[in-house]
Amino acid sequence: MIKEWLTSFRFMLLRQQPNELDEELRFHVQQSTERNVASGMTPEEARRQALIEFGGVERAREQTYEQRPGWWLGTVAQDMRYALRGFRRNPVFTIAVIATLAVGIGATTAVFSVVDRILFRSLPYAQDNRLVSVGTVHSLEKQEFMMGGFFFDWRDNQKPFEAMAIQSTMTHACDLIENNPAQLDCLDFDAGYLPLLGISPAFGRNFLPEEVLPNGPRVVIISYGLWQDHYNRDPNILNRQINVDGSPARVVGVLPRDFQFPTLQPADVIFPDVLVQADQKTANGGFGDPMRTFARLKSGVSIERARAAMEPLYEHTRDTFVPPEYRKDFHLSIRSLRERETQDAQSMAWILLGSVLAVLLIACANVASLMMARGEARERELAVRSALGATRGRLVRQTLTEATLLSMAGATGGIALAEGLLRIFVQLAPTGIPFLDRAGLDLRIALFTVLLALISGALFGLLPALQMPRMVALAARAAKSRKRALLRQSLVAGQIAVSMVLLSGAALLLKSFRNIEEQRLGVQTGGVFTAQIALPEFRYDTSQKRMQFHLDAEAAIRRLPGIRAVAVSDTVPPGGSMGMRWSDLVVDGKPYPDQGTGGSLATRKVTPDYFPALNIPIIRGRGFTEEDTRSAERLVIISRLLAARLFPGEDPIGRRIQSGHHAGWSTVVGVAENVKNGGLVDPDLPEIYFLRGKSDSDWDGKRPMMVISSVLSPKAVAPWVRSQIAGIDPTVPVQIETLDQTVSKLADRPRFETALLGFFAFCGLLMAVIGLYGVISFVAAQRTQEIGVRMALGATRMNILRLIVVEGVRLIAVGGVLGIGVALATAQLLKSLLFNVGPRDPVTYAVVALLLALVALAATLVPARAAMKVEPVEALRYE
Amino acid sequence: MPPTTDLLQGTLDLLILQTLVAGPMHGWGVAQRIQQVSKDVLQIGQGSLYPALHRLEYKGWIRADWGNSENNRKAKFYSLTATGRKRLETELKTWERLSTAVGLVLGRISEAAS
Repeated sequence: MIKEWLTSFRFMLLRQQPNELDEELRFHVQQSTERNVASGMTPEEARRQALIEFGGVERAREQTYEQRPGWWLGTVAQDMRYALRGFRRNPVFTIAVIATLAVGIGATTAVFSVVDRILFRSLPYAQDNRLVSVGTVHSLEKQEFMMGGFFFDWRDNQKPFEAMAIQSTMTHACDLIENNPAQLDCLDFDAGYLPLLGISPAFGRNFLPEEVLPNGPRVVIISYGLWQDHYNRDPNILNRQINVDGSPARVVGVLPRDFQFPTLQPADVIFPDVLVQADQKTANGGFGDPMRTFARLKSGVSIERARAAMEPLYEHTRDTFVPPEYRKDFHLSIRSLRERETQDAQSMAWILLGSVLAVLLIACANVASLMMARGEARERELAVRSALGATRGRLVRQTLTEATLLSMAGATGGIALAEGLLRIFVQLAPTGIPFLDRAGLDLRIALFTVLLALISGALFGLLPALQMPRMVALAARAAKSRKRALLRQSLVAGQIAVSMVLLSGAALLLKSFRNIEEQRLGVQTGGVFTAQIALPEFRYDTSQKRMQFHLDAEAAIRRLPGIRAVAVSDTVPPGGSMGMRWSDLVVDGKPYPDQGTGGSLATRKVTPDYFPALNIPIIRGRGFTEEDTRSAERLVIISRLLAARLFPGEDPIGRRIQSGHHAGWSTVVGVAENVKNGGLVDPDLPEIYFLRGKSDSDWDGKRPMMVISSVLSPKAVAPWVRSQIAGIDPTVPVQIETLDQTVSKLADRPRFETALLGFFAFCGLLMAVIGLYGVISFVAAQRTQEIGVRMALGATRMNILRLIVVEGVRLIAVGGVLGIGVALATAQLLKSLLFNVGPRDPVTYAVVALLLALVALAATLVPARAAMKVEPVEALRYE
Repeated sequence: MPPTTDLLQGTLDLLILQTLVAGPMHGWGVAQRIQQVSKDVLQIGQGSLYPALHRLEYKGWIRADWGNSENNRKAKFYSLTATGRKRLETELKTWERLSTAVGLVLGRISEAAS
């Protein structure tokens, strides 16, 4: 068998002399002639008989030639030459097709390169589909976590996992102290972490078992970025002593360049996570230290099975550690690493991919329509070719060759366009889209593009090919043209339907985005900015030091000109705040909190000037004062929403509440107006403001930030603020951001989605309208003769206009209704992206339908008016 | 022209291979010989002869060389290759099995009819 292939292959490569076959055939005829002469015919008669006997020489030659392995390669080249000649003769057609395809393929490629990593591409770990994030979740922490108090119990008794590894919950700021100091992000993980992910260091080694024991040697693994940027690729980095937070550590390894932490939080320096079972039983009130846990499923074990297998362990833990009143709030969670890393980006990725594919579909329909129109013009040529013996298959192949050439040219243009589009995406994109920094056009994407081009080529090549003339093409015309028009019309109706779907999606997002932009935040954003000061933890290691620094900074900034108010808070609206469970709230003189409501509260710890700085009105009682900060009494201000919930119809001033059982009573001194505090799109939460006073405990917890309100522009004030802070400690990094920027950043994601979908909808609509225009012009041209007859018989120009417009209206109506149907059916997919607007918002749909109808009608009017102006005499002479 | 008998698909290959067992032969010769041996029942149309010869050549079962014919003209001579010889054996066996089977079926049918 193989030998046969090899023989065939040899013949494929060897070019046969074409005249050899001629000679062979000539010899045959001569032999026959001679035999005939020998049997007594005249030479002329003998030759005639020999030729008759032989049959069609040309046919025999061609059939013989087609026996040759790979003979069709020659016809491909021939088809290509022919196609190119055709393109050159018709540059407008060619450019229109290539441009349409380039837009379709380019946009699809760009979007695919972004969503590929979110949806399809395997994560950069060994057998990534078996990696999971394991732990418990509750309403205030939706990412799986675990506590040292029960980790060992889980690890030692679990069945579904091959291995489990841990890391600290998040990175913490740490200082590299040397000639060239830097503030870095540090993280801990254990010795099993890298092996679990199937990663080995770029060089050096992983932690050894003895290095994760208490009092082990102080060693670190550093990131590739740190080695490259900070140590200039020092070849002697291994075993070098570096000083982190004031004590030396030895570098034992460097992580691979493209290593990606499963939490997607980049870290520069990694310490061994030392976890001692005995210590964890007592640390942190018996809970142990919090951590993130990752595990590798045993082969063949699904996530569902793993969850079922872990449930008993989890329930035991929950019943041991969690007080009964909270148990409902806690859940076991096991998610694939892809879910953990992409979070909620997947639905957005699907929507983007779906809409860009819709654009591509419209583009293909347009090109198919163009090809058909061209086929119409070439009907005679094709008919002649088929009469001369070209088979139907051969003609189809010719069309497919043309389609492939066009789609490949389109793909080339598309790749270039994709490169540009991708840059725009990255510029526009919010920080929340995972892996965007890694998106790029690599081999995989290029292969996808080629595949896309081939599929679209087949799509728009086959449609017109199906319409190929049969042998009768030379004669009958009208009936077939009619049929072809029908196919083109259904294509256009389809295009209108798809762009209706795109437009309604884009319009919904636009409306939702405007709702986000226009909502009342409840705070003043103009002239307000925040300064986040990253105090190195090892120098500012007590609450006392941190308090002193911030109070000094507050006083120093207050002295600057143009400053209206300065305050310290942990967060600012509308961003998230420190949360608290509703069930933790105890009101003096009321029964223990109602369990039913569940949910959470927003809390902030603020200095007195917080309310004036953000212009939040105090609607009852009073705000905090400077004297309050020195008082021993704990004071709180509650939001209007909370007041209404806790004290409906009562005066909240002077009432006492406490957060948690042992926190001590706080007295309500005022009620503040509600502010947006659950992010831009989530509903408002009831809020408690604790007074950030002068006692150490007020400065525990989250890093505080300065909130500054000035009458001068923040741009002018920011440098002064920096220099004031530098006056206190010149080494601390300060990050200044206006509140407007903060708010705008929160709206990045919806803005990105709206912009992209809007762009696709616009492209789709444009192409659909061009398609509609084309088909109506075609129909009008086809009916020129009919129009002439009608006019000769007394039809007015208005009648003619109506005749043609009705053709368009029919298409628009069919496509529009179909599109609305599909849009309504798929609208549910958008729901998670919409804010204050239903996925089936009737107003939006009505506006979109109207807009589409108007634009489409305009596109039909142009050719219809042209048809109206036809001179009857000329029309009758037509053809 | 006498009525030609349509050849079963693939039978022509077998006939050509069998004919070439006698030695190298040009296309015309092959056609003549098949006609003679079959007593003019099998007339090979040139439209199928040359495609078949070339197909066999591309498969490597026969070989073609240019040589001089009896009357000293340049002609293309075909001869069996080793692969072709082996192929012929299997083809012959297949053919015998097939014709026996067909014969059996036809024999039974005629028995039942009588």
